[in-house]
Amino acid sequence: MTLPAAQHTEGKKNVTFRVFRFNPQVDSKPYFDDYTIPVERGITVLRSLNYIKEHIDGSVSFRAFCQAGICGSCSMRVNGLSQLACTTQVWDVLAKSREPGIIKVEPLRNLPLIKDLIVDMDPLVGKMVHYSNWIDSTMPEAKMGIKEFLISEEEFLRYDKATDCILCASCVSECSILRANKEYVSPAVLLKSYRMSVDSRDSMHEQRLAELVKDHGVWDCTHCYRCQESCVKSIPIMDAIHGLREDAIESRGKHDTSGSKHAEAFMTDIEKKGKLIEATLPIRTNGVVWTLQNLLPMAMKMIMKRRTPPPPPLVKSVKGIKIFRTMFREMTEHVKQDQKSHKK
Amino acid sequence: MKPFDIVIVGGGGAGLYAAMEAMKTNPALNIAVLSKVYPNRSHTSAAQGGANAALGNKAKDDTVEMHIFDTIKGSDYLADQDAVDVLCSEAPKIIRELENMGTPWSRLEDSTIAQRPFGGAGRPRCCYCSDKTGHTILQTLYEQCLRKGVLFFNEYFALNLSVSGSCSNGLIAMNMKSGKVEAFPAKTVIFATGGYAKMYWNRSSNAAGNTGDGQAIAYRAGIPMKDMEFVQFHPTGLRKSGLLVTEGARGEGGYLLNKDGERFMARYAPEKMELGPRDLVSRSLETEILQGRGFDSPAGKYLHLDLTHLGADLIKSRLPQIREMSMNFEGVDPIEEPIPVRPTAHYSMGGIDTDNQTRTVMGGVYAAGECGCVSVHGANRLGGNSLLDILVFGRIAGRTAAEEAGRFTPGTISEAELHAQLQEVRGGMQSAGRYERYGELREELGQTLALNVGIFRESSLLQKGIEDIAELKERFKKVRIFDTSDVFNTNLMQVLELKNMLDLAETVAAGAFAREESRGSHTRIDFPVRDDAKWHKHTLTTLVNGKVTLGEKPVTMGRYELQERTY
Ligand SMILES: Cc1cc2nc3c(=O)[nH]c(=O)nc-3n(C[C@H](O)[C@H](O)[C@H](O)COP(=O)(O)OP(=O)(O)OC[C@H]3O[C@@H](n4cnc5c(N)ncnc54)[C@H](O)[C@@H]3O)c2cc1C
Ligand code: SF4
Ligand code: SF4
Ligand code: FES
Repeated sequence: MTLPAAQHTEGKKNVTFRVFRFNPQVDSKPYFDDYTIPVERGITVLRSLNYIKEHIDGSVSFRAFCQAGICGSCSMRVNGLSQLACTTQVWDVLAKSREPGIIKVEPLRNLPLIKDLIVDMDPLVGKMVHYSNWIDSTMPEAKMGIKEFLISEEEFLRYDKATDCILCASCVSECSILRANKEYVSPAVLLKSYRMSVDSRDSMHEQRLAELVKDHGVWDCTHCYRCQESCVKSIPIMDAIHGLREDAIESRGKHDTSGSKHAEAFMTDIEKKGKLIEATLPIRTNGVVWTLQNLLPMAMKMIMKRRTPPPPPLVKSVKGIKIFRTMFREMTEHVKQDQKSHKK
Repeated sequence: MKPFDIVIVGGGGAGLYAAMEAMKTNPALNIAVLSKVYPNRSHTSAAQGGANAALGNKAKDDTVEMHIFDTIKGSDYLADQDAVDVLCSEAPKIIRELENMGTPWSRLEDSTIAQRPFGGAGRPRCCYCSDKTGHTILQTLYEQCLRKGVLFFNEYFALNLSVSGSCSNGLIAMNMKSGKVEAFPAKTVIFATGGYAKMYWNRSSNAAGNTGDGQAIAYRAGIPMKDMEFVQFHPTGLRKSGLLVTEGARGEGGYLLNKDGERFMARYAPEKMELGPRDLVSRSLETEILQGRGFDSPAGKYLHLDLTHLGADLIKSRLPQIREMSMNFEGVDPIEEPIPVRPTAHYSMGGIDTDNQTRTVMGGVYAAGECGCVSVHGANRLGGNSLLDILVFGRIAGRTAAEEAGRFTPGTISEAELHAQLQEVRGGMQSAGRYERYGELREELGQTLALNVGIFRESSLLQKGIEDIAELKERFKKVRIFDTSDVFNTNLMQVLELKNMLDLAETVAAGAFAREESRGSHTRIDFPVRDDAKWHKHTLTTLVNGKVTLGEKPVTMGRYELQERTY
C-alpha cells in the first residue's frame, strides 16, 4: 500500500513504531523492534502497520480484516491502551505520547500470546459458551418463522447498546481482575450475558444467572470501570454488571452464594472500619464526585433492600474517604426519608 | 482425521445458516465449519443497511409478488425467475425466524420489526437494526451455533479441493496457528466464502479478506463460474478508503450534491432521486465526476452526501455507525458537514455456478451466499437482497447437503498430496534473486481493474485490463514471502489471497470483454444498450487446460416478460 502523498497540507512526521515481537518457534522471550516511517495526518495505526509489513518487514504479524472498526480483529495495545488499530489515528496518539515521536504497539493482555500482536481468542469464546451467551428462545424450533414476537421500543433500547459489542476483547485486556485470575468471566461476557437476560424472548435467565453468581463470576468484579473506559464502542458495560448484580440479589433467596456473603463483608468494611479499596471505586480516574453520583445510587438501592453492594478484593485506605463517608451517611439518611414518605 | 459428512468453508451468514440447518435436518451428521477468521469477524458484520422481506409491517400493501418483481427488474432481467420466487417467498419466514432466535431488530411503534425504504424497492421493506444489521444477524447466528455445539475450525485457511476424476475427496486447508496443512476428507463440501470485490483493492468497500478464495478453489478444480463480469459499484464509498456509507443514509433522506450544490439525481432518476438502483446512481456519480462537476482533492475527485438537514437527533439515533466512520476515516462530522464520497466496488453478483438447490456441477460440492451464483441478483443486486440471499440459500445449502451426503463417499487425501500442497504454498519463501512484492502487485491489480474493468467499460480498455492481469500473473511467479515461520504466517496468507484474486480477475475481465452489451452493473461505452437477442443469457467461465474458457447458460424466465428498465 502506498500512503497517498501530499494529501494534506500539514506535512508529515517521522514516527517510530516500537513493535512487540515474539515468534514462539525461535524466540525464548519477547523483544521490541523499531520501525520509523513518515506519517501524515489522517493515517491510522493499522495503515502504518500495513505499510511496515509491506515495505519494511513482512514478518510483523497482526490481525486485521474489515479495516472499518466493525469486525473487532485488530485490537491491540497502542501506547499501553487497548484499542482498535484501524480506527486509531496516529497523530492523535502522538499528541499524547509520553516519549515524543514514539508509539509503542503491543498485543492485548489477559489472553494467551500466539505471535507478535496476535493473541488467542479461544478462551473468550469458551467463556461465552460457559455462560450461555445466547438466546434460548421461548419459541419452540418447530414454530419458528411463523410470527414475530412483539417487542416494544422500550425493551429494544434495554439491549440495543449492548448489541454493539464486536468482541474485540479490548475490555478483556484492560480488566484488572483478569490479570490476577484468568478464569474470571470477563467484562464482554458479562455484557453479553446481561443483553440476553433482559431479552423477553429468552428462557434461560435463571440458569445463566446461577452460573454467573458462582466463583469467577459477576461478584468478582471490582467496579474499577476500566472495561467501560476502554470499550471501543463506548458501551456502558458497568450498567450491565450492575444490572446482573441487582438480578442476582433479587433472586438471592433462591441462590444463596458465596458472592453475596462477600458482599456482607463489604458492608461491614465500610460501616465499621471506614475503609475502602482503591480498585473498588474509580475515584482515581473519575474523581470523587463522579463516583458518588454514579455508584452510590446503586449501593443505596441495595442498602434499602437490606442488601449489600459488591465485595472488595483488597483493603487499603483511600484519599477522599472522608468526603465519601459523609456523603454516604447523608445519602443513606436521604433514601431512608424517601422510603418513609413513600410508605405513607 | 475421521471423514466428515459436511465440511462448510466459511463462517459468514451463509456458512453459519448452512451449519444450523444441516444439523437440524440430520442431527447424526458429522459437520465442520472452517473459517479463516473467527466467524463473528466475517464480512457479513459490515452490512449496515438491512435485509428485504415483504412483511408488510411498514407498508401494509406490500406483497411478496412486488418484491419478486422489483428483484427481477433490478437484475435487468438476468436473474432466474424461479430462483427469485424462492428468495422472496422465503424472506418473511426467514426474517421472523431470526427474530424468534433473538436478532435485535429495530421496532416500529406497534412493536413489529421496523422496515425502511431502500434503493430499487417499490415499498419500504428493508428490515434493519439501526445501522448494524449484518453485525447483529451474524452475532445471532454465531450465538445459536455455539448453543448447538457446531464444530468450528477457526483460523483455518482453505487451500484447495482434493479431486479424483470428477469427484471431490474433500478439502485441504492450512491451520494458521500451526502452519500445518491438514486434510478434511468429506462426503460433501459447501463453499460459503463470500465475495471477490476486494480485487479492486483500494477502490473497494470490502474487508481485506474478501478475495474470492472459495470461487478460486472451485475454479481451479474445473467448476464453472457464472456472470463474473457483474461487479456492483456502490455509489457512496468514502473518498479516501473506499469504505462504505450505507444506502440507509439516503433512505433516511440524505442528498447527493455536486460542486454546484445541485441535487443531480434529478437529471438521472427524477422520480426515485437518490433512491434509484445502485448501478444507475453509481453511473450518475461517475458521470458527474467525468463531466467535471465533482470536487477536487489530492485523493481524487468526489461528490457530497449531505445529511446535515436531517438533524443531529436522527443522525445519532439511526445512523450512528455512519457518523463514526466518517469522523474516523474522513475527519468529517455529518451533522455539520457533507460527507465526501465516490463510487466503490462493493458486491460480486457473479460466483460459483449453482442450481436452485445450490448444487455445483461437481457431485457433493455446493456453494451459497455471495460466493455462489444461483442467480437471484442477475446483472445488478438490489440493496438488502444480499443478506436475504445468504440466509435463504445458506439454509437451502445446509439442507441439501445434509439430505444428499449419504449419496457420496468421502475420498482419501494422501500425505503425499498434503506435502505437495505445502511445498507449493511455501514456494515463494525460497525465491532467490529478483523478486516481486505482493503489496505492489495487489495495488496494481486494483488499479487496472478500477480503470479498465470498472464502471464504464470499453473494448480497448478491457483488452488492456486482460493484458495487465496476465502480466501480473507472470510477475506473481516471483513473489517473495518474507515471513518464513510456520506460526500464524499472515504474510503467506496474503500471498495466497493475491493468487486467488489474480485467478478470478481473469474471469471477470474475460466475461466483461465478451459481453457486448450494457446490462445492470456492466456498462459498455461501445455497446450502450441492452441486447436481449444476443445477450439475454448467463456467462460461464471455466478453467480448461490452464486457460479461461467462455460458455453460456440460458436465463430461466417466468411470469415477467423482458421490459426496458427505467426508474
Ligand atoms: C460494507 C458492506 C455493506 C453491505 N450492506 C448490505 C446491506 O445493507 N444489505 C445486504 O443485503 N447486503 C449488504 N452487503 C452485502 C452482504 O453483506 C454480503 O454479501 C454478505 O454478508 C456475504 O455473506 P457470506 O456469508 O456470503 O460471506 P461473508 O460474510 O463474507 O463470509 C465469508 C466467510 O468465509 C470465510 N473464508 C473466506 N475465505 C476462506 C478461506 N480461504 N478459508 C477459510 N474460510 C474462508 C471467511 O472467514 C468468512 O467467515 C454489504 C456488503 C458490504 C461490503
Ligand atoms: S469493572 Fe469489573 S469487569 Fe470491568 S475491568 Fe474492572 S474488574 Fe474487570
Ligand atoms: S465490550 Fe467493547 S471493548 Fe469489550 S469486546 Fe465488546 S466492543 Fe470490545
Ligand atoms: S480491522 Fe476490523 S475492527 Fe479493525
